[in-house]
Amino acid sequence: MKRVITGRAWVFGDNINTDLMYPHICYTLPEGERPKYTMWANRPGWPEIVSRGDILVAGKNFGLGSSRPAASNLLGVGISAVIAESLNGLFLRNAVNVGLPAVSSQVIRSMVTEGDLIEIDLTEGNFRNLSTGGSVAFRSLPEFLMDVIDAGGIIEILKRSGCLDTEAL
Amino acid sequence: MVANLLNMIEKILLAHSDSDTKTVSPGDIVNVSVDRVMLLDIAGLHPELINNPPKEAFDRSKLAIIFDHFAPAPNIEMAIGTSKIRKLAHKLGVNDFYDYGRAGISHAFAAERGWLLPGRIIANTDSHSIAAGAYNMLSRGLGTPELLQVICTGRTWFIVGETVNIELNGSMQSPTESKDVFLKLAGEIGDLPNENIEFSGEGIGQMTMDQRSVVSTMCAELSVEFAIFPYDKVLKSYLKNRAESYFRPVRPDEHTEYSRYYSFDMRDIPPMVALPDSVSRNTKPVSELGNIPVDQCVIGSCANGRIEDLESAARILKGRKVHRDTRLIVTPATPEIYRNAERLGYIGEIIDAGGMVTNPTCGSCMGGHMGILADGETAITSTTRNFRGRMGSREAKIYMASSATVAASAIKGYVADPSEFLGGAFS
Repeated sequence: MKRVITGRAWVFGDNINTDLMYPHICYTLPEGERPKYTMWANRPGWPEIVSRGDILVAGKNFGLGSSRPAASNLLGVGISAVIAESLNGLFLRNAVNVGLPAVSSQVIRSMVTEGDLIEIDLTEGNFRNLSTGGSVAFRSLPEFLMDVIDAGGIIEILKRSGCLDTEAL
Repeated sequence: MVANLLNMIEKILLAHSDSDTKTVSPGDIVNVSVDRVMLLDIAGLHPELINNPPKEAFDRSKLAIIFDHFAPAPNIEMAIGTSKIRKLAHKLGVNDFYDYGRAGISHAFAAERGWLLPGRIIANTDSHSIAAGAYNMLSRGLGTPELLQVICTGRTWFIVGETVNIELNGSMQSPTESKDVFLKLAGEIGDLPNENIEFSGEGIGQMTMDQRSVVSTMCAELSVEFAIFPYDKVLKSYLKNRAESYFRPVRPDEHTEYSRYYSFDMRDIPPMVALPDSVSRNTKPVSELGNIPVDQCVIGSCANGRIEDLESAARILKGRKVHRDTRLIVTPATPEIYRNAERLGYIGEIIDAGGMVTNPTCGSCMGGHMGILADGETAITSTTRNFRGRMGSREAKIYMASSATVAASAIKGYVADPSEFLGGAFS
């Protein structure tokens, strides 16, 4: 996992919940089909216009809702990191556990216009808007969570530690 | 803030911590052991679990597997997923395995079984695991990949958040229910991501365990980490002859300081409603809503599929009929609740009024089955969420209220104040 992530910004508002990121229809679709419905209710068609490596910028309380694998849908769409004004705790856990970096900065939305090229330095806790030249510090994730992200998620760590079967149920 | 004064949440985290530290404070990360683990049917839809199941459980006597979200399987994908979870239950040697018809919704069932005990931490994937906070203990949603880790190791981590104190005073006046109390405080306080709530106040002593559980369950909608109620006579009495083991209640240290304080007088709270798409800062008294016709009325979920909800619905529906332009779906949370409601006559009264009573399951709350909404439809529900698209179509609108308000709305065909049928303080 790269510790400095650069990508084009998609900007969302406050209270983007898990049901918007992972509508119930995703539960019964084949795994590869699920990301196509990301933001199905609030921004239909969005997954088709995201490029791999883009970064999602959002307002307050991003990820409110259920334990459904919303972060997996964002990864599936091609999103490489999330930076929001504030993050729901369950979304943060789910994001880290599937290897998606998610951090928060209270002022982030005022610093980004959709389409800007932005950079997140996860180690230094520094955000830069490469299009405008603006920058701001944010609180880095604790190192043990960065280790999970670096490994590509908790499942990879468990596999390495020998806790999981390699044979499917 | 004096570092060594601890609130209830901090005390439970500290007691479960693997570190030698004598205190915790906001911003700390604590690695903790868990007292029980619950895995749900929905895990069968997670490829990471199906493809790489745990070799063994850290302690199989502490692991329960419960089928609640899509019970019974509404489609072939769930049927296949649950068939694999049954294999897992067998492989891990899990005794506490509850197939369709044997448990109902995990949060309500865990309370009935005496698993929710003061001082404990329970790991469960579901986001409404915070329901357990009514029992003077901690739980929160973890997600399925993380639950694999917990099943393997018996451990997880939490970031210690700032804690706010919410004081509940007075007692609710009929026809107000605890859902209304929650909607009032959600409307005024708003979201508290990464923070905790501790409830206090003399009003709590007047609240049943069902009423407290509604509030603690719904705190998930405020985006908090944990919510917790104090230990008192009501909880002690609930646990008598039910607790599966010895337990150790927690109380906040005297003079513990909280990051903010809120206070509500429950006597002043009328029947409330959350408007569509979000709960926090989006609620108002039912009496101020105006005429909103409803296509579907739902009573159920981990929050409000409880015996008191069915009682409340039956009291309003008895001798009346569901309006011809709407439909009523009632989903008890557990078989025990269903059985008690039948014994007490509530099921018959709901059916006689034209309501449909389903088997215990999370059901339509999460839009999985048992009452999906069509484009352009409007629902009123006493379940847990009103997010856009939650119960089916993204073009549907979901209002959220107490079970009494839902029952009153079912009779009227529009969002109606239960005071119209029950009189009381706000009529």
